[in-house]
Amino acid sequence: MTDVKSYLREWAMPHVLCPGCAHGIVLRSFLTAVDQLQLDQDKIAMVAGIGCSSRLAGYVDFCTLHGTHGRAPAFATGLKLARPDLNVVVVTGDGDALAIGGNHLIHAARRNIDITVLLLNNSIYGMTGGQAAPTTPEGAIASTTPAGNTEPNFDACKLLIGAGASFVARVLAANPMDMTKVMADGLNHPGFSFIEVISDCPEYFGRYNKVGGGAEMLTWMSVRDEGVSGPLSDKRFVNHIPSSAPPPGLATGVLHNELRPVFSGVRKVGRS
Amino acid sequence: MPEGSRGLLLAGVGGQGVILASMIVADALMRAGHDVKQSEVHGMAQRGGSVFSHIRWGERVDSPLVPLGSAEVLAAFEWAEAVRWVEYVRDGGAVVADIRTIVPPGACTDRRSWLRRYPGIDGELFDSRHLKTRLIDATATATDLGNVRAANSVILGTVAAFIDIDDVHWEAAIADLVPAGTEKINLAAFRAGRQVAEARVPDAAQDPDGFSGPHEIEIRHDWCKGCDICSRVCPEYCLAVDVDGKLTIVDPEACTGCRLCEILCPDFAIDIHAPRELAVVGTNTTNESSA
Amino acid sequence: MTETRLPEIPLAQAQLIQGNEACVKGALAAGCRFYGGYPITPSSEIAEHMVRLLPNIGGVFVQMEDEIASLASVVGASLGGMKSMTATSGPGFSLMQEHIGFAAMTEVPCVIVNVMRGGPSTGLPTSPSQGDVMQARWGTHGDHPIIVLAPSSVGEVFHVTVKAFNLAERFRTPVIVLYDEIIGHTRESVVLPATVDVIDREQPHDDPDDFWPMVAPPDGTPPLPAFGDGYRFHVTGLAHDERGFPTNDAQVAEALVARLHRKIEAHLDEIVEVDTYMLDDADIAIFAYGIVGRSAREAVERARDAGIKVGLIRPVTLWPFPAREVAAVASRVDTILVAEMNLGQLIGEVERAVAGNAEVLGYLKADGEPITPTTLLEEILHAEKVRQ
Repeated sequence: MTDVKSYLREWAMPHVLCPGCAHGIVLRSFLTAVDQLQLDQDKIAMVAGIGCSSRLAGYVDFCTLHGTHGRAPAFATGLKLARPDLNVVVVTGDGDALAIGGNHLIHAARRNIDITVLLLNNSIYGMTGGQAAPTTPEGAIASTTPAGNTEPNFDACKLLIGAGASFVARVLAANPMDMTKVMADGLNHPGFSFIEVISDCPEYFGRYNKVGGGAEMLTWMSVRDEGVSGPLSDKRFVNHIPSSAPPPGLATGVLHNELRPVFSGVRKVGRS
Repeated sequence: MPEGSRGLLLAGVGGQGVILASMIVADALMRAGHDVKQSEVHGMAQRGGSVFSHIRWGERVDSPLVPLGSAEVLAAFEWAEAVRWVEYVRDGGAVVADIRTIVPPGACTDRRSWLRRYPGIDGELFDSRHLKTRLIDATATATDLGNVRAANSVILGTVAAFIDIDDVHWEAAIADLVPAGTEKINLAAFRAGRQVAEARVPDAAQDPDGFSGPHEIEIRHDWCKGCDICSRVCPEYCLAVDVDGKLTIVDPEACTGCRLCEILCPDFAIDIHAPRELAVVGTNTTNESSA
Repeated sequence: MTETRLPEIPLAQAQLIQGNEACVKGALAAGCRFYGGYPITPSSEIAEHMVRLLPNIGGVFVQMEDEIASLASVVGASLGGMKSMTATSGPGFSLMQEHIGFAAMTEVPCVIVNVMRGGPSTGLPTSPSQGDVMQARWGTHGDHPIIVLAPSSVGEVFHVTVKAFNLAERFRTPVIVLYDEIIGHTRESVVLPATVDVIDREQPHDDPDDFWPMVAPPDGTPPLPAFGDGYRFHVTGLAHDERGFPTNDAQVAEALVARLHRKIEAHLDEIVEVDTYMLDDADIAIFAYGIVGRSAREAVERARDAGIKVGLIRPVTLWPFPAREVAAVASRVDTILVAEMNLGQLIGEVERAVAGNAEVLGYLKADGEPITPTTLLEEILHAEKVRQ
């Protein structure tokens, strides 16, 4: 196994993310999956939107595109159609992909274009300072919901299954082994693969909602785990971290997996 | 304990078939005209837990439990079980032990020393008590015969040498109790067990994946943000973040190389390096499970 | 880097085609191999022709979910090494502003065709207009230059589209082709060339390990390798350094924005194209572009028949604004009559360039009806009266 740091732009490190932000754990898991699959480093393109998760694209030594807010799936669609030889991976966040970019995400899923979308869901807008996102649970505190969120939140995986994504999975940043395996499966999947990673935002979500810092948030998410088909669930590591009351459970693991025709552009007709 | 009653212990690991083997022993003894009592404990019977069975026989037996230091024979289906139960054997009694090893999960709690905790195989271990020790490789014998699952019958064949009943009773019990269709192979295995050679205990060898000491923890302080996840997940309490948010190694000797801190560091700031000196262990200490 | 090429789809010499079709032929001849778009009147024929032609020559067509996504897909494909374009009209062009700015900042070559219709908002979908001239220049936030070309006939649509691709590749910039509903839908008999001169983006010669993607002289354009061809680099819309990595350093950010402008401004001779007609002895110059330029030519001829010394300056390049050329005309004429199908967009630029050296009059109209030679002639007569 290669040192995953060889896939980093070490000169750009340390990254900009806050102490305890699990996005870095997610990145490591992804790089581990890339390493396990022995993908050609020159043939990976990471396309990101705007937000904390999207900043990860800057730190990986692939071809990387840090695009505009919510539009990463559209950039990725053009890139993949132009370069079918590339492994195109979108890294996005919950606000990026589900609010401003919801339309692009569902249409990329509908087309079943062969890209992998990693949605790092931290339940809040981190980079702009802790505003409520479409994923903020009802009742949760955010800077724009000081008395508690009154809007229902999205279940991203259900949304994507409905939109036609052919591979849909949810993993926890607290379960990096699981995450790596599912990411490898997603990368291997022919067609649109969508992986929602429950990540954390200790700086805003954790602080506003009194969950705690990075370690506490990892516990908090793992007690929400109601794995349905996840192969591993090693939670021993958090046993000695005090945890807050368990919030509602989340189905984790590979939630949907089918094979259907992959989109590669409009078909030929006779010359006009 | 009534005069003339004798005891035997069978011990192994969940999944090995200890219970069936003890049924065969009890049945053979009954066929030979003895009063027999048998009792078993199989709390972790799925896989990997210790399973043992007491058998007593004689003209009249009241309790099935074999008192400490009184058994004629200990039949250990796995090496650590031999060491665990040997004190039940009387001085001058016999130990039949398979040299296959199944390292139980419990022995891995301390990942630094699990190899040391797992007892090394040593045929002379019981010499001081004048025990007749037979170390065999039943799996190899059964495999040679064509069915690895007949290994237990090989062990019974060796055990039979220390129990004074006629082979017809053994063979009748085996034919009656083993799964239908496997009678022939099990009888062959039993006969092979009666003559099986002492197994050669392999030499100690270097284990490339082994651990011989603490792993080295390397911290990139210029990348570390002091988030504290690593110190909170470390099962050995090697790491701590001080009041200034600086990560320090508080117990470098304790690192077992589990890499939880490395994998869960969001900042790629921790590297765990294996010890430079490779561990020296027996090649037989593998996790392969015998049949 | 300019190369004369035989288009993969041979161009029939003389043919009767629509402006939107000429645009497609020009794009393909220039090497366009990717089209990402969203339907909108009066530009949809471009998509409908593209989808029939592109797959036959190794190209890709995709209909995206909206115009934001369309231009995003175009930028993505261009980074993959394909010459790429989209086409739209006013409302869609508004949505594309986000990625026009992104393409300008990240220096990704692409071509955006805006077939203008009446506005504001959804306005007059099937009527012509020149209402997007300022949006084309200033529609997106922040300071960046842009190249905007305005053809005035079907034949010129072909040439301008080829030029748009060449400039996009040459300067790593979005280039906007701006024409209106009339040119888009008019069928004209045109003569297309057998070959076209094509420019491809410059490729780096560095070792991939030493490659910094944004290194260029202060007025230069960095080379652009395609994603997947062995050069691994970062592309971001954030202010970035020569490594392409985000920075907040004021000096670095200033240098970047300055270079974005200078790479265009230092090469105006390659970009600015102005057509003139009967200006040599003119007292009055009409300033008109696009479809109005054609009416103006007819009006000039009729005015000459009436004995008025009038000429025409017709910029093909609207942005960067041909201020030097306008100033030169202003020094020779008494009056410049600006005719445009909006309520006054380029007239302000003309006034600025003229700097008081001639009188500037406007004939401005935004009712969805074209400016005809007849009405324009009336304006010329009026201007002549004012001049005397």
